Amino acid sequence: MSYPTVEEKLASLKITPATPHELRCMEKVSRGSYEIAVQRTADILDEGYEIFMRSSRSSMGVAGDSIVAMFSAHGDLVNASAGTYLHAIIPPIVIKYILKKYRENPGINDGDIFYTNDALYGGIHNPDQVAIMPVFHAGELVAWTAALSHTTETGACEPGGMPLSATSRFEEGMNLPPMKIGQNFRINNDIIELFSAFGIRAEANVTVDLKARCTTADRVRTRLVEMCEREGADFVTGLFRRMLIEAETGARKRLMTWPDGVYRCVTFSDAAGLKRGLIRNCFLTMTKRADHLTIDFTGTSPENLSSYNAHPQAVIGHLANYIYEYVFHDLPISSATFAPLDFIFPEASCLSPTPRAATSNAVMICTGAMSAIANCISRARFPSEDWHQTTASMGNGGNAPVIAGTSQWQMPFADMIAYTINTEGQGARCTHDGMDAYGFPWCAFGRAPDVESMENEFPMLVPFSQHWPDSGGHGKFRGGCGTTQFWSVHHVPMLFFLSIADNSSLQTPQPLFGGYAPPTVPGITIKDTKVTELLARLDDGTLDFHALIRGDFGEVQTEPNGRSARPVEADKTISVLMSTGGAGYGDPLDRDPALVQKDLLAGLCSAWSAREIYQVVWDPVRERVDVPATESAREATRKRRLARGKPYVEFEKEWSKRKPPEEIMNLYGSWPDAKPLAPVFRP
Amino acid sequence: MSTQNKIGVLNIAENLQLDLDTDTWVCGRCSCVIGSAHENVKHSLLVGERDPTEVHPPLIMGQPYSFAPNPEWVRILEFYCPSCGVQIETEYLPPGHPITYTTEIDLAALKNRLNQGEMVIENGHLKVVTT
Repeated sequence: MSYPTVEEKLASLKITPATPHELRCMEKVSRGSYEIAVQRTADILDEGYEIFMRSSRSSMGVAGDSIVAMFSAHGDLVNASAGTYLHAIIPPIVIKYILKKYRENPGINDGDIFYTNDALYGGIHNPDQVAIMPVFHAGELVAWTAALSHTTETGACEPGGMPLSATSRFEEGMNLPPMKIGQNFRINNDIIELFSAFGIRAEANVTVDLKARCTTADRVRTRLVEMCEREGADFVTGLFRRMLIEAETGARKRLMTWPDGVYRCVTFSDAAGLKRGLIRNCFLTMTKRADHLTIDFTGTSPENLSSYNAHPQAVIGHLANYIYEYVFHDLPISSATFAPLDFIFPEASCLSPTPRAATSNAVMICTGAMSAIANCISRARFPSEDWHQTTASMGNGGNAPVIAGTSQWQMPFADMIAYTINTEGQGARCTHDGMDAYGFPWCAFGRAPDVESMENEFPMLVPFSQHWPDSGGHGKFRGGCGTTQFWSVHHVPMLFFLSIADNSSLQTPQPLFGGYAPPTVPGITIKDTKVTELLARLDDGTLDFHALIRGDFGEVQTEPNGRSARPVEADKTISVLMSTGGAGYGDPLDRDPALVQKDLLAGLCSAWSAREIYQVVWDPVRERVDVPATESAREATRKRRLARGKPYVEFEKEWSKRKPPEEIMNLYGSWPDAKPLAPVFRP
Repeated sequence: MSTQNKIGVLNIAENLQLDLDTDTWVCGRCSCVIGSAHENVKHSLLVGERDPTEVHPPLIMGQPYSFAPNPEWVRILEFYCPSCGVQIETEYLPPGHPITYTTEIDLAALKNRLNQGEMVIENGHLKVVTT
């Protein structure tokens, strides 16, 4: 085996130095031609992205949880259309691996299609798969194209591609190292059969998504060949090199606007797969010097015997979700924007595990890194002229309900209920609340499907989808509210259900500048009910979130939200699905009472929170805030804080003697520095 | 120090400022001097510990998971201005976990860039001077 080392993967993220030929080509690209051609690359990629969504079969692909990208002949990312920025990081690692290992055998030729989904070789996790095609013109390799998306079935030990119970990569189904799956612009039939076999639970999703990736990569390839024919291959070569240089220049210029310093954030979660326990899922130290960032994960908990581990490039991909969306939003999605960033990963940690580790839930352990990078960058950025783009972290819950079985159309399927994951609340902004039901923190442009479409596709009933009140972290500006849904099996006798989630005992995101985090998310089920009868008598009351958790429609049972695959019978069980709210910003006592009033009237804030958190005196009859009484209440609360608060030294003296209960320390590592206590053995 | 040599006051957080002329942390609400900017600002703030259920109340009674964080797993630390009580920072930590040194500005580097004229402070924020 020759999978790349961590050092080789990190080196592949750096752009290849310009050759003399590239520099000569670049000089021939005039400023005006450059501007037009950059836009042309964006148009080509947007066309590819649209084709990708329309060609995909699984919910994530249809929702646009994907990326379409083009690369230089060396494999450096030049531009992309997204989708999810997560995928932008990894293809250069794979393309550079192909260039290094496969030039002679199996060879790199016009019409070849390469493919991989293996995180050991540079992927995110094995549901995320990429088709890659070289672009040849007049016999010369001039570029590469790629299409990446998430397919919710891999033939793992549980349906849905992200098995909670996997303890090693051997339980995660299909893991393909970079390989040639087609030539002469055709996918090999034996490969399609391989995918069918691994995807037997949802063959249509798996094989159609495979073809969608290849179709998309080829469309972008075709457009680049047309550009070569129109403008000349040297023009494309020069254009790509100039795009890399401009992107790096822009990124460095932005970093120069922040004050130098060290910024830290530590985050936690409460489970790794089905194993409950405290885990320090990210200890991030970001050192900013001039136009350079060093991002160090030393102090993160050890790897574990679950699928909640992530290889380093996957972690960096999760940083890209925030960085491209909030920091480099006006620059090309390019390897060059990450050129000023270097990374340090502690060995055998959950963010840099050993090769046999299960990583199919990399996206879940990376919620810490996603949250921490938002927090650190916001701290570095607030003093700068871009201060108004400072935000608290997204909720980064990623709570993903998976259902599997046979549909009402007699089709085997395994898929996610995409509405839930695509309606999380945005982190509070420093000038506004976070947007309610903003989207999917992993996929800024993902679309929540209509409930009616989901009910037509899958054998289920979703009688309501609504905002989840109080789900955004409180603050001067609150996190955006997430959503809640009622779900039950319909049309078929039973389905399998599992829930990819954590954080029923604590939340991962840290708030910003005095705000609060979002609440935790339990797994909620109402059993032994009769759903159809319940719906028939809805004239008697209201079916909403509060009625459900109050027990109006049956006894409520809770458990950790992360749940393994289990059968659910039709008509007898209600599952309540939740998508997390964003973290809060600033002291809640600074919140404009008028905003609290607006939230109360909209049902987004409870009377309890208005009174206890925001100290707003509210007249529910007149539906007005008593402003003078509110001011008095807030001043009294500040005085209570002064009475309650202790000087730091005095507080820390007592605080540092405490420790969480021993029974929840099984995943954490040594206390408090989270170093490995023993090696992890996987047969 | 004469007025013309003054560097200014920089916004560091929603309710925290850095006075670069006196190297002190200043409350953004009441303008009191909190402490030396050469120290972690948290060392100069009051710390209040909260049971997380005081902020995130349980919504389902009698069940083990109820939307409220588990107080044995996590506590909320609130950091207040010692003069006016405004909440400048919060941090969710397991009990006894070391408190994070979240923001460590390189004062010397910042002052150097300001003194060199690379940056100025406008309306409490850094502005890069373009030449």
